[in-house]
Amino acid sequence: MKALKGEIISNDKISENIYKMTVFSPYMVKHCIPGQFVNIKCSESTVYDPLLRRPFSIYDVEEGFKVFSILYLIKGKGTKYLKSLEPGDVIDFLGPLGNGIKVDDKSDKKYLLIGGGMGVAPLFYLAKSLILKKNNVFLAAGFKDNKFIFFEKAIQLLKINYQFFSEDGSHGAKGIVTDFLNNHIDEYRDYTIYSCGPSEMLKSLKEIFLRNNIKNKAYALFEEIMACGIGVCKGCVIKTIDKDNKYIYKTVCKDGPLFELKEVVFE
Amino acid sequence: MNNFADGRLAVNIGDIYLKNPVIMCSGTFGSGLEYNEIYETQIIGAVVTKSFSLKPMEGNKPPRLCETSSGLLNSIGLQNEGIEFFIQDQLPFVKKLKISPILSILGTSSLEFAELASKIIKIEHELIAVELNLSCPNVNKGGITLGSIPDSVEEVTSIVRKTLNIPVIVKLSPNNDNLIEIAKRAKSGGAACVSLINTLIGMAIDINTFKPKLGNVIGGLSGPAIKPVALAKIFSLYKAEVLPIIGMGGIFSWEDAIEFMLAGASAVGLGTVNFVEYDAAINIINGLIDFISKNNLNNISDITGKVKAGQ
Ligand SMILES: Cc1cc2nc3c(=O)[nH]c(=O)nc-3n(C[C@H](O)[C@H](O)[C@H](O)COP(=O)(O)OP(=O)(O)OC[C@H]3O[C@@H](n4cnc5c(N)ncnc54)[C@H](O)[C@@H]3O)c2cc1C
Ligand SMILES: Cc1cc2nc3c(=O)[nH]c(=O)nc-3n(C[C@H](O)[C@H](O)[C@H](O)COP(=O)(O)O)c2cc1C
Ligand code: FES
Repeated sequence: MKALKGEIISNDKISENIYKMTVFSPYMVKHCIPGQFVNIKCSESTVYDPLLRRPFSIYDVEEGFKVFSILYLIKGKGTKYLKSLEPGDVIDFLGPLGNGIKVDDKSDKKYLLIGGGMGVAPLFYLAKSLILKKNNVFLAAGFKDNKFIFFEKAIQLLKINYQFFSEDGSHGAKGIVTDFLNNHIDEYRDYTIYSCGPSEMLKSLKEIFLRNNIKNKAYALFEEIMACGIGVCKGCVIKTIDKDNKYIYKTVCKDGPLFELKEVVFE
Repeated sequence: MNNFADGRLAVNIGDIYLKNPVIMCSGTFGSGLEYNEIYETQIIGAVVTKSFSLKPMEGNKPPRLCETSSGLLNSIGLQNEGIEFFIQDQLPFVKKLKISPILSILGTSSLEFAELASKIIKIEHELIAVELNLSCPNVNKGGITLGSIPDSVEEVTSIVRKTLNIPVIVKLSPNNDNLIEIAKRAKSGGAACVSLINTLIGMAIDINTFKPKLGNVIGGLSGPAIKPVALAKIFSLYKAEVLPIIGMGGIFSWEDAIEFMLAGASAVGLGTVNFVEYDAAINIINGLIDFISKNNLNNISDITGKVKAGQ
């Protein structure tokens, strides 16, 4: 983890309200792993509104160019500021942060990745890293509409198997990804599972795994509002339960964002 | 180059000596260990640890953070691993990294403060001072509840003072209207100085769900939004000539730090800024050195309380 400055190489609109920003950073390229994030200052250097930095997952890393990228959805003040930046501008960020997912050097394992909406952002880098080690990867993702067609194009380049769903049927099959999983769960009993998406989705995933007595490892990447991003303020906690059935608040920024689904208590 | 120990920055606050007047506020800097990955935290005048209690505390229900205009509302509720964790697990690293620690403690009664103090005896020589958190708005017992009663403030301060041989700092709240009286009682109890302000009680509501934005309903406001309130509190306490003051509340730049000293602070605390500008302390210390040079000061403390407020 380091406080860094990086030149923006590109910052393009790739779908309605969704942007991709690519940043030059040899340090990040060398040190980051999938599932980690950066905490970006989203205002001019001495302007403090918005006050807090904003966390974004690492979407992709291109080693040859020494760049990493983020995918961001325009929500409020912070992301509107990011949108206004241009190639050549410099962003101020801290990273890489969080536990992330250590991709094993041993190959030939089976992985199921499940994404919902913007939650697909960290799954691209994860899928890419897993494929590089010759693992078997299947990606299932669900969206509201057809705003994520660009993501399907990106995934196609990785040559993995995937299935997409949309609630309105405008992209992939009509339906929701958790229903698909509920119906096909037996096919994935020996897969390691990584998911990221809205908390209702993660909650139903946990229920599906419990109901079907899934014994394999199932993980999810979580989001919480953050301040420090490095584990000191204890602001970004989620409720977890340990082996002795004791509740503990864990920090998403440092203990996470990756947690085993079974340890997280949804309220 | 060791600018950070420039003799002109050294200050005495009561019987506390600091190599420079920049202090990290409790709860915003851990014990300085995490930030040491970003820069050498030994350059800081002192690091006030997160407030530790006798037993671990789990903290409040999330969400615990909410951003407001140039401000931050938090309702952490003093989640901490307990005093033994600091002593056993953190202090050895704090020593190794040459961080100057001020240990912040929180009890729910004078009895608990006494017990905390007795646990600290064996490590007191490693500490610059202890700070009594008598002002946290996010816990039901202790904190501000204890800190708003003058008798309790004196009792708690004097119990800790009698148990330990190191200076005692009392952290005060802006939420009480008897600030000066409380500070006087801290002095009677033997405090070396006071630090203020802790966060201001605040609230935010989600208009879509009608729910408060914080799990604990109310929280404490910090950051640039509270700076004018902090300055006014410090100014009023300075005029009352009770105890030296460590001033904090929305300091984000060296210019802010100078303002706090002019209002009456002998040293300044950096809190929320640590989440936003990770190396704020470096820039602020360097800014103070430049200010000293430009104004031909012998020592930064020459400006404490020197606001020309028309008396
Ligand atoms: C670990 C992590 C990874 C993330 N990765 C991505 C990503 O890859 N792409 C992406 O578009 N978004 C991602 N987010 C969410 C992103 O941080 C928020 O959308 C963003 O902060 C919104 O800022 P804003 O100022 O535009 O919106 P505002 O609504 O003005 O933000 C107000 C406050 O709420 C916080 N906030 C708002 N939405 C979220 C959220 N969903 N999660 C956490 N905090 C939130 C902001 O940080 C800020 O403190 C991630 C969040 C976390 C915690
Ligand atoms: C997230 C957070 C946690 C805090 N925890 C503590 C604490 O444990 N003990 C304490 O005395 N003050 C605590 N404070 C208050 C700060 O030490 C400081 O007094 C206050 O935030 C004002 O300074 P600032 O505006 O520079 O942040 C906390 C503040 C924040 C924002
Ligand atoms: S954001 Fe501060 S502990 Fe996670």
